[in-house]
Amino acid sequence: MSILENKIREYRHLFEEHSSKIKEKREVEELRQLFFGRKKGLLTLLFEELKTLPPEEKKAAGRALNEFKEEIQQQLVQLELKAKTVRPQEKIAEDLTLPGWKPYWGAPHPLTLFQLAIEKIFVSMGFTVEDGPEIETDYYNFEALNFPPHHPARDSWDTLYINDKLLLRTHTSPVQIRVMEKKKPPIRIIIPGKVFRRETADPTHLPMFYQVEGLVVDRGITFAHLKGTLEYFIKALFGEKIKLRFRPSFFPFTEPSAEVDIECIVCHGQDPACRVCGGSGWKEILGAGMVDPQVFKNVNIDPEKYSGWAFGLGIDRTAMFAYQIPEIRYFYENDLRFLRQFNRK
Amino acid sequence: MKISYDWLKEFIDLTITPRQLAEYLNQIGLMVESVEEIEGDTIYDIETYANRPDTLGHLGVAREIAALLGIPLKIQNWPLTEIDQPTSDFIDIQVMDSHLCPRYCGLVVKGVKVGPSPDWLKKRIEAVGLRSINNVVDISNYVCFALGQPIHTFDLNKIRGSRIIVRKAFKDETIRTLEGSLIKLESEMLVIADESRPVAIAGIIGGEDSGITEETRDIFIESANFDPVSIRLTAKKLGLSTEASYRFERNVDINSAPQAAIMAASLLNRFGGRAARGLLDIYPNQKKSRTVTLRLQRIAELLGVEIPADFVVRTLNGLGLKLKEQKENVWIAEIPSFRVDLEREADLIEEVARFYGYDRIPSEVTPVKHFELPSDFKKEKIWSLKEVLFHHGFNEVINFSFADPEKESLWQTGHQAIHLQNPISSRASILRTSLLPGLVENTVWNFNREAEGVHIFETGKIYFWDEEESPREILNLGILTSGIWPSPAWNEPGKETDFFILKGVVEDLIIYLGLDSLSFEPGDHPFFEPGQALKILLKNDLIGYLGRLKSDIIGAYELEKPAFGAEIYLEELLEKQPKPFVFKPIPKFPRVSRDLSFLVEEGLSYQELWKQLQKLNVPNLESFVVYDRFKGESLPPGKISFSVRFFFRHQSRTLQTEEVDQLMQDIISQLKTFVKIQLR
Repeated sequence: MSILENKIREYRHLFEEHSSKIKEKREVEELRQLFFGRKKGLLTLLFEELKTLPPEEKKAAGRALNEFKEEIQQQLVQLELKAKTVRPQEKIAEDLTLPGWKPYWGAPHPLTLFQLAIEKIFVSMGFTVEDGPEIETDYYNFEALNFPPHHPARDSWDTLYINDKLLLRTHTSPVQIRVMEKKKPPIRIIIPGKVFRRETADPTHLPMFYQVEGLVVDRGITFAHLKGTLEYFIKALFGEKIKLRFRPSFFPFTEPSAEVDIECIVCHGQDPACRVCGGSGWKEILGAGMVDPQVFKNVNIDPEKYSGWAFGLGIDRTAMFAYQIPEIRYFYENDLRFLRQFNRK
Repeated sequence: MKISYDWLKEFIDLTITPRQLAEYLNQIGLMVESVEEIEGDTIYDIETYANRPDTLGHLGVAREIAALLGIPLKIQNWPLTEIDQPTSDFIDIQVMDSHLCPRYCGLVVKGVKVGPSPDWLKKRIEAVGLRSINNVVDISNYVCFALGQPIHTFDLNKIRGSRIIVRKAFKDETIRTLEGSLIKLESEMLVIADESRPVAIAGIIGGEDSGITEETRDIFIESANFDPVSIRLTAKKLGLSTEASYRFERNVDINSAPQAAIMAASLLNRFGGRAARGLLDIYPNQKKSRTVTLRLQRIAELLGVEIPADFVVRTLNGLGLKLKEQKENVWIAEIPSFRVDLEREADLIEEVARFYGYDRIPSEVTPVKHFELPSDFKKEKIWSLKEVLFHHGFNEVINFSFADPEKESLWQTGHQAIHLQNPISSRASILRTSLLPGLVENTVWNFNREAEGVHIFETGKIYFWDEEESPREILNLGILTSGIWPSPAWNEPGKETDFFILKGVVEDLIIYLGLDSLSFEPGDHPFFEPGQALKILLKNDLIGYLGRLKSDIIGAYELEKPAFGAEIYLEELLEKQPKPFVFKPIPKFPRVSRDLSFLVEEGLSYQELWKQLQKLNVPNLESFVVYDRFKGESLPPGKISFSVRFFFRHQSRTLQTEEVDQLMQDIISQLKTFVKIQLR
């Protein structure tokens, strides 16, 4: 047997020895280098050696070498395929039910979350979001909205005054006036924001809270539009099955005016002592109405050509109802044990 | 306003059950807030509105129900037993101000036996939530709650000089009221006076020494009408609110005065009283009735539903309006005096809608003709910033806009605070001039309630007077971190929070907005410990501060742990426009990195080094990071060491080692000139 053939046998053993230990793809590559490396590969060297053999030996040795080359190449392909499926060597941990790695996330304030949910519904209906100053004049907060001076209607809007001219807005409605002064109809806006009342604190009242106001002005806007839009809004917020009712009410800046009650989601009218609805089965949720002609006149919009509807809703109280929070003060105490319940990202 | 089912039956024939009645009341907007059953009667507490004084009596509520059910109101009869002597023999009435008192009716009833009320009267009085006092007082309340017209009864013999003068109070005049308090009157207040003194504050409350007592025999009944604004101003000023003032403020029907006086006198007949002949009625300027035009077409335009003309006519007639058809489906409506709220066509349309039923109006989608782009994206930007803060572990809080002036003064915010004229308490009497005091309060609150660490932020307005004495409100962002920073791993303890946790979120906020040119400068500020605060700058604009809060200040809130805070002028920050975002191509050739450690003078800050590194003018230098800062005994005194890793890349080929070596030499020689580096 030629020296070359001996080497082939030797290398075959060497290959088998190596290949039996292979676990990773990287090791297959190493083995390939060992045999086929450009300069020092074992087979590369054998082919160099082949060139030096006398022609009578060259033919047989060449065939043997080529066969061996193919054999190894085929095996390398097989080894590679096997190594591709990486098997874990050890278990990750003894107990895989241990908690994962969780960076600390901050929680959004529930009023922010709720306001955002409301904004999204209206933005999807083509409304834009507006805002305005919290320090207002009597004109924007009251007079332009058809509250005559010294009228008892003002009693429901107990006011914190800065001086005889300036006050903290008692509702977001002055922004209606500011927008209508600047813009020609069509108008289709909502106005979320902080409002202030001179009220002593109790479970449902605080001197500061959030409201959202909506306003639509265009030709041919009707009470039916108000109903349809607010019904959609409430269903989008509380689910399609929620029952609601419109009943007549009074606001100086709308005529006709309405209040909207929704079915009590806590007792559904079944509990005469219900903490949320007082047993009536209904919960007042928002005030609304057709924009009063006097309000249009105050901003130089012709009430014979244009009509509109508006609504106002207390964000805090609605969030209290939705999340069944018993006291409004929780929103402003900022107790982390309360706030972090809203970390639902 | 409490309404009795039994009492309503005096005005209408009710065939519906008390339960049905509640539903009807709700339908027409007299919202029933609660229902009570008392001695076989049903009492409704209904919501009434500032523009509907007519619903402050059972007659008005009965009228609404009658209109809804299409039934007539019962005619009430109040016969009088009279003596043959005219009223003017007993009393002389003079109204000095017919603007503040447009109508004044008076009647004298003699020989009344004052005593406890009979059961029927007691029942009525108690039904509306009042306490029975005696038959005379109860009768005046009965009339008030029946008709909505307040009346007042005087002991005739205590009216000095047999004269009633309706005038403004004299300066420094006083009156002791029925409630027993002595009130100093002011000259714009209207009073009912006799010859020598006020005997009642007009439309609000009577005087003690002209009131009804057990000895009273002869009674003077006052049934008048007063200017609503005057009554309201006086009542507010005196801090008084009575059944009478509540109604007069809301503008009582001017035509109910005579009827109420007669009703009261007739009731007093039942207790031995006999009325003097003839009602005195001072009504110099008779009010004309108002008319309003109503178009059927306009009803449909506003409500979005066609309501039949005959329904409109029937409903409004039922409510006491007189309709005259001007042309087809256009009416002139004459408004009855008790409906002070009906002035415009829209008011009549509301009446039609109310009685038609809001539930019968269809629901339609509000048509949209065009979509409008938001004028700016401030709201969206604020929400994005909040998301960065949540991601960094900061919880959102919302505090009141009010502040305690004493505590706020500790902070020396540099803003002139806005004071409230009528604050709820002295500790909430100014508007906040910074967000940090509120955040410190929240921190203390939570440390006192099991929290180990408090990491919070608030976006909200601060308020102050500017140089021109105009009120300013600007949107700020306040951030605070104190205590333990929680560990992400369940089996590792948290660590103490620090300044760089705060600085990291500030840096990320700016990056998130797509703004470059952020820098920091040492800056002392009254909120922070000296030398432990930075100014936050965008180019040359100051947009806030961050640092370690002064222990003196937070100590006053009993916050003992170190706290790091930032206040950022959010409004200014949001004004800055980022460069439009365009993507960078992903590189095709590999990058090469080289590290360099060098010594510099100790005073050189990271930020200054960074600025100098940015000035490097070396081809193919793609980026760099500073990855170490070291100071120690192994270094020459006065020196610190920085380590920087440089990344090189050629756009169209792989860089050769020799090339990169040369680039590093360029960097070293440039840095030697910029910051005199010494290689280690």
